[in-house]
This record gives sequence, structure tokens and C-alpha cells, in this order.
Amino acid sequence: MTTIACGLLLIGTFLYVFWPERNIEAQRTKTRLEYLRERREVLFENLRDLNFEYRAGKYPEEDYAAQRATLENEAAEVVAEIDLLESDVLAAPQHT
Amino acid sequence: MRRLSRFAFLPLLVVVGVITLGAADTQARYNDLGHKLMCTCGCNEILLECNHMGCQASARMTAELRAAVDRGDSDNAILSAFQAEYGPTALAAPWLTRFNIVAWVVPPALLLLGLFGTFLLVRKWKLRTAPMPVVPDDPASRDLRARIRRETEI
Amino acid sequence: MPAFGSFALLVALALSGYNLLAGAVALRQLATGTRGAIAPERLAETARRAGIASFLAATCAAFALVWAAFTNDFSVAYIAEHANRALPGPYKFAALWSGQEGSLLLWAWLLSAYGFVLRVRHKVDVKLTAYASTILAAVQVFFLLLVNIAATPFSLVTGPIPPDGNGLNPLLQYPEMVIHPPMLYLGYVGFSVPFAFALGALMMRYPGEKWIHITRRWTMVTWLFLTIGIFLGAHWAYSVLGWGGYWGWDPVENASLMPWLTGTAFLHSVMMQEKRGMMKSWNVWLIFSTFMLSILGTLLTRSGLVSSVHAFAQSSIGNWFWVFLVITLAVCTFVYILNRDHLKTDHKLESLVSRESSFLFNNLVLLAACFTVLWGTLFPVLSEYVQGNRVTVSAPFYNRVAVPIGVFLLFLTGIGPLLAWRSTSTRSIRKNFVIPAIAALIVAIAVIPLGVHPWTILTTDHQGAFYSWVTFMMAAFVATAILAEFLRGARVIQRHTGRNLLSSVVQLTRRNTRRYGGYIVHFGVVVIFIGLAGSAFNQSIEKTLNYKQSMSIGPYRIECLDYSQDSNPNYDTEFALLNVYRDGRKVTQLAPELRFYTASQQPSTIVANHSTLAWDLYVIYAGKDASTGQPVIKAFLNPLVAWIWIGLIITVLGTGVALFPNLSAAVAAQRSRVTVPDEAVTAGRAGD
Repeated sequence: MTTIACGLLLIGTFLYVFWPERNIEAQRTKTRLEYLRERREVLFENLRDLNFEYRAGKYPEEDYAAQRATLENEAAEVVAEIDLLESDVLAAPQHT
Repeated sequence: MRRLSRFAFLPLLVVVGVITLGAADTQARYNDLGHKLMCTCGCNEILLECNHMGCQASARMTAELRAAVDRGDSDNAILSAFQAEYGPTALAAPWLTRFNIVAWVVPPALLLLGLFGTFLLVRKWKLRTAPMPVVPDDPASRDLRARIRRETEI
Repeated sequence: MPAFGSFALLVALALSGYNLLAGAVALRQLATGTRGAIAPERLAETARRAGIASFLAATCAAFALVWAAFTNDFSVAYIAEHANRALPGPYKFAALWSGQEGSLLLWAWLLSAYGFVLRVRHKVDVKLTAYASTILAAVQVFFLLLVNIAATPFSLVTGPIPPDGNGLNPLLQYPEMVIHPPMLYLGYVGFSVPFAFALGALMMRYPGEKWIHITRRWTMVTWLFLTIGIFLGAHWAYSVLGWGGYWGWDPVENASLMPWLTGTAFLHSVMMQEKRGMMKSWNVWLIFSTFMLSILGTLLTRSGLVSSVHAFAQSSIGNWFWVFLVITLAVCTFVYILNRDHLKTDHKLESLVSRESSFLFNNLVLLAACFTVLWGTLFPVLSEYVQGNRVTVSAPFYNRVAVPIGVFLLFLTGIGPLLAWRSTSTRSIRKNFVIPAIAALIVAIAVIPLGVHPWTILTTDHQGAFYSWVTFMMAAFVATAILAEFLRGARVIQRHTGRNLLSSVVQLTRRNTRRYGGYIVHFGVVVIFIGLAGSAFNQSIEKTLNYKQSMSIGPYRIECLDYSQDSNPNYDTEFALLNVYRDGRKVTQLAPELRFYTASQQPSTIVANHSTLAWDLYVIYAGKDASTGQPVIKAFLNPLVAWIWIGLIITVLGTGVALFPNLSAAVAAQRSRVTVPDEAVTAGRAGD
């Protein structure tokens, strides 16, 4: 009984581990575009936060304007690069 | 005469008061000191909190402590006596002597040092940050900015 | 069955070993661009599957041990040692973690379970997961080596099979003991996952901060388990050990507190990295330390390096942990030095007064607290080394040194939410400070007539009352600050959407679950602190009671109604029936017990507790008077203890809220999908 159980466990795990699989997930390195999109999301989130906190009365007008400008500058750079890269991707659809 | 006897009562009252005050004080001191000592049976508990059944060590130690407090020994004398009899591990926290001072001093010193260091760090980061960014003002960036604002309104 | 268990453990070890080796080779090949006989991606896939399969094998082993406990298979030495026939079912389950071999098996199993989830969900980020999975496999190999070689749970008894086992340690025969150790282990083991991700991200020089986003939930869940585990332990100590307290600053308790403190620091400081790309090296070392502290905790418990009430777990296995700890430290340091340029950031801070700097200080204080605990735990060893004698560092030390740090931390909990990211104007601080400060002042005055006299610190060396007073004041400050923060946010939503206040609060919380869930956790912490502060006013009394005799403590009069004894197959018991009166009216009846477990020949107290919001009336049966045979009853009046458990529940709920995904994130994703309708976007989002 024990031998059968041990045998089953061994064969089962062996088959599972080495069963040939056709669709293996590729280990892609993150592309610049993906990285920029992450950055954009973070910056947008920071901006949303800033807007919200401003309305909740945590920043005086001038602080808010300065910080929004900083974040928007940063975001603008990222968005501009995303636009550029996306137009490249659309121009060359075979690239994956 | 009657009035006198009434006043004769007063010193008695004071004496009773002092005695009960003394008793309460003894109990408090016993409780206090008992929480500054450890049970030495190996259970690693505060003397008055050791509650395991049939613990010989704590029964003996509490009896000794009770006697010492009743005798009116000073706190220091009692703690020293326990240290002499049972070794330094009988004290729940090390005395402020020689190397033991290190035990007490290091954590707060490190905290203060850390606070100071953090303050310096924050200041350094602040100083190197430019206060006001230059905002480019051309149609393209204005457009981009408008897009960003649309996306990030709350 | 024991043979099957042993075999399953061997298979699990082989699979984890394969996962580690094949995974490492594949990652190396992918990184350098070389190819072996098998395509590296295929090799990596087999490694991942081996990791998944190791979970199955470890599950089989754990099942085999539980099975042995349930079928009273005393041919297994571990079962003979930790179970007996009369033991109720759930406690047979608990036998799995009541001894060293079993708890190590539990550890290995939980680790493989975490690994299972991580490896199954590898599509989140295939490459990063491959790294994390390989690192986790290395940790798994260590624990599986332990249970295969050094502490084998399935070794057989030498000589004839005993007819019955020695039974479970009676202290562990308590409902919470069935969940406390697994919770604590889930917490300890869980930190391996963010650790593996952090180390992996550093090894592969992961671009960006997304890995933090990926591990955020792991870290929170782990933190939650550890928190629950610690408090269940405290509650168990309170209800079972019967010394009237819940925290004894025992090395093993300290061991669980240390990774909790660094883990809490990590949860806060990763926000700096996620939002602003700051403190990257710091965060990496925080999670490295958290992982190593959870290993150190086990080392302290197992090695007998420091003396502890949990001494039942001592053995020579400590050496294994030393080696593992040193290897871990070496690997971490090596990887860090190799890749530290990847963590370079230019730190920018717009203002001295900002959320960022409050996080810095909070991290500092949490670490100082952790250091104090570590220092106190290890000082006896240090003292023995330096001055040749061991000293004890116990409650009086921590009360003096750690309590002020805790109070300071509570203060920061209140300050943090008032500050905004980047910079906060002094005007807004002043504005937001006023109401909490008033609340603090009111409470500071209001508690004085209730018996909190802070000035005793001037005349005696009792600081308890003073610190409690400060704590109550801070608690009012923090609670009001949190409430105000909710209201301020809700009003913005209200103006924006026109909803009523309550639904605005809900909407607000759903928009940013982490922040507002976090505030709820803070509120829970405040409630816990209030409960802790109550301990400065504990009272106790001990008396031998005959029939109809009574004793008084606080407002209660305790009268002995009856005392007797009883026995069943598992234990013999002595108990007293006590009527509790307050103002002449009967409030409740308590029945403290003293049990004597037959199988293990060990006594255990069963506490009777009448708990209210104001205080617990906590009564134990301390034994029989030798001459009269009458019961010795010890009663404690412990103020505010119930607040601790209520605070824990709030903390758990808050963490639950923080684990929910943000509403706004979903809305934002939808919005950007509408504005940029190309395939590239959907392809790019597959990894989200």
C-alpha cells in the first residue's frame, strides 16, 4: 500500500514536471514602453492625489501650483516619449 | 472630662492611621520589589508572576522577600541581598553598574543619534531640491498638459 | 504511513533542489545568452513545475503526520511524544506544530504553499517570478533539509511501540493554540515572498518599481498574519498561563515582535519608493532584515542561546540556522554590492515638513524599537561574554526603554496623516492641528479624576501612570486626526458628487483603499495602545476562601459558593465556584479551574475571566491550602484589556480594506483604454 502510494507520488510529480509543454511563457525583459507606462500611471496617481489633497485644504495655492507644475513637467516628458514609441509600434506592427 | 477623653482618642487614631499606612506601604513595597525580581527556577518569569504549580524557588524567594520587607530593609539592601544569594539573573533588569550601564544607554542613545541623523538627511535632501521648476510654454506642451489634466482630475 | 511521509519529504526536497538548480541554470543562461542542451525557457518551466509539485509532496508529508496523529500511530516517535488516545480531535491536528519536528514540517509546508501560489500566478511577471521562485526554492531546500536530516518528524520509536502517547503539552490544549502557531508561522514564512521578490528584482536589475506593487498584497497579508499571530499568542498567554498579563517580554515573544516592527517599517517606506522612487537601498535592506529576523527568531527559540518559557522547543538545531543565516546575509550583501548602482536615486524633498519626512522618522523609530527589543534579548549573552556573568533583561527594562519609544511612535501615527506629500504649509498644519490638540487636552484633563495621576512620576519611580496619561492624550489626538482626515476627504467627494456624508466616506475609502484602510489600521493601533496603557493600573489580591467567605477587589466582592474536584480520561480537575457581586448585586459566577493532565502528568490553570470594557476581573485557582484543603484564589483587576482585542479586530478589518483594489484604478484603466484604442496598450496591460 505504502509502496504504491510512494510510486504514484513519484511518477505523478515526474510526469507533471517533465511533461512536454508547447506554450511556454517567454521571459521577456520589460520594454521601454512598458516601463514608461508604469511611470505614467505612478505620476498620474501622484497628480490625482495632489489635486485631491489640494481640495481637502492641505496645500496653499502657490505650493499646489508649483508642485503640480513639477509633476506635470515630469509626466509630460513621459507621455511625449510614450506617444513617440507608440507611433513607432503602430508603424511597425510586426514588432512584438 | 468627657471632652478630654474624646481628645485622648486622637493620638490613638493617628497611631492606627500610621500603622495601616505602614501596612499598605509594606504591601506596595513587596509588590514593587517582587516585580523587580525573577523567579530562579528556570521558568524565566517575574517573581510575583511565577505561578506554576509546586515551584519551590518562587515560594522560598517570596517568603524571603516578605520577611525582608517586614524587617524594613531598604530597597537597595533587599535587591543586593537577592543578587548576592541568587546571582545577577535574579534581578529582572540589570543594575546601573559598570558594563550594565551600556544596556540602558545604548538604545536611547541610538534613537537620539538616529533622530539627529535623519534630520540632517532630510535637510540635505531639501537643500538640493530646486524650489521652482521651469515651465516650458509652447503649444505642444500646453496640449500635453491639458491632456494630463483631463486624465488626472479627481 | 510514516514511510510514505518520509518518502514524500524526500521527494519534496528533490523537487525543490531541482527547482533551485534548474532555475538558477536557466536564469544564468537567459542572462548571459548562452544555451545548453535544453532551451533555457523550457528548463525554467520544468523548474517552476518542480516548485509547484514540491507543494504536493510537502502536503502529502504533512497529511501523513496528521494521519498518524488521528490514527494513534505511536510507532512514530513524534506522535508518541506529542499526542495520546484521549486527546480531542482538533488538538490532534495541533500536534503537527506542538513539537520541533512538526513545526519545522509546518514551516516547510507553508513555504511551499506560498511558493505554489507565487509559481501558479507567474504570468504577473514571468521573469521576475522565475527569479523569486528560484530564491524561494533555496529557502525551501534549507527547511526540507532540516526535516529530512536534522529533525525528522517520521522517525520511529526504538523498542516496543508504546500503548499510548505522552500527550500534548497541556498549555497547548486551548482552542487558540490550534490557530496561533499557524498564524505566526504564516507571518514568519510569508516574509520569504517579498524577500524573494526584492532579492530577485535586485539580481535581475528590475527596471522600475512595479515589483513593489506586485508584492504589496503579499506583504500586507503576511503582516496581517503575523499581527494576528502575535495577538493570539498574547491572548493565549493571558487566558492560559494565568499570571494575569498578556506580554512577558520573553525572548520568544520578542522574536515575533522584531520582524513585525521591521515589516511595519517596510510597509510604510515602500510607499516612498513606489510614489517617488526614493529609499531603494533602505527598502531592500529592510526586507532582507525582516526575513533574517524571522530566521533569527527561530534560531533564538531553537538554539537555547537565550533562556525562555518556550524552552520545550530547544535543541542542537540552532547550528543549522546559524549557517543558513550567515549564507543569507552573505548572498544579500554580495548581490547588493554587485547591483547597488541600480538602486541609485537622487533623493529630492521639497520641504522639511512633509509626508516623506514623517515616513523617515516613523521608520527610524520602528527600527529603534526593533533594536531595543533585539538589544534587550541579546544583552544577557553579551554580558556573559564581556563581564563573565549572565544578567536578566526583563519587563522593568522594556517598561523604561521601550515604552517611551512606543508612545513616540503613537505620536507619529497622529502626525503622519496631517502631512501631505512633498510639502505641507505651516498654516494648514496649524489648522489641522487645532482640533486634535483640543481633543488631546480635554482627554488629558478628563482622565485625571478617573485615577490617572501623571505627577506620581515626580515623587516615586513609577512611570506607569505618567506614560498612560500621555498615551490617553495621544490616543485622543490620533483618533481625532484620523476622523478629521476622513471628514475632510469625504467633504471633497461630497462637493464633487453631491452624495451624503456616509456614502462619501465609503466612496473615499474605495478610491484609495490603501490609505484609508491604513488609517483604519492606525485607529485600531490607537485602541490597542489604550488597552496597553490600562496595564499601569492593574491590581491583584490572593486569599484562601472557605465556603461563604469572600474577598474584595476594586468594586467587586468575590464570594466562594463551593469548591470540588472531578476527573475525566484526559485530566483531573479541581475548581471553585465563585459568585461575583458589585454594589450588593450578583454580576456573574466564575469557575476557575486547576487541571492535571493524565498523559503528560502536568498541571494547567484554567482562568475565569469576567471581561468588560472598563476592566477584566481575572480569577485563577492558585492551588489548595495545604492545611485546610480550601482553595487559594488569586484575583486580578486589569483595566481596559478588552480594548486590546477590540483594537486587533479593527486592525484586521482595516488591513482587509487596504487589501481591496482601488476603485479609481479600475476607473482610470477604463478611461485610458477608451482614449488610446490600440492593440499595443492591451498587450502592454497583460502584465498588470
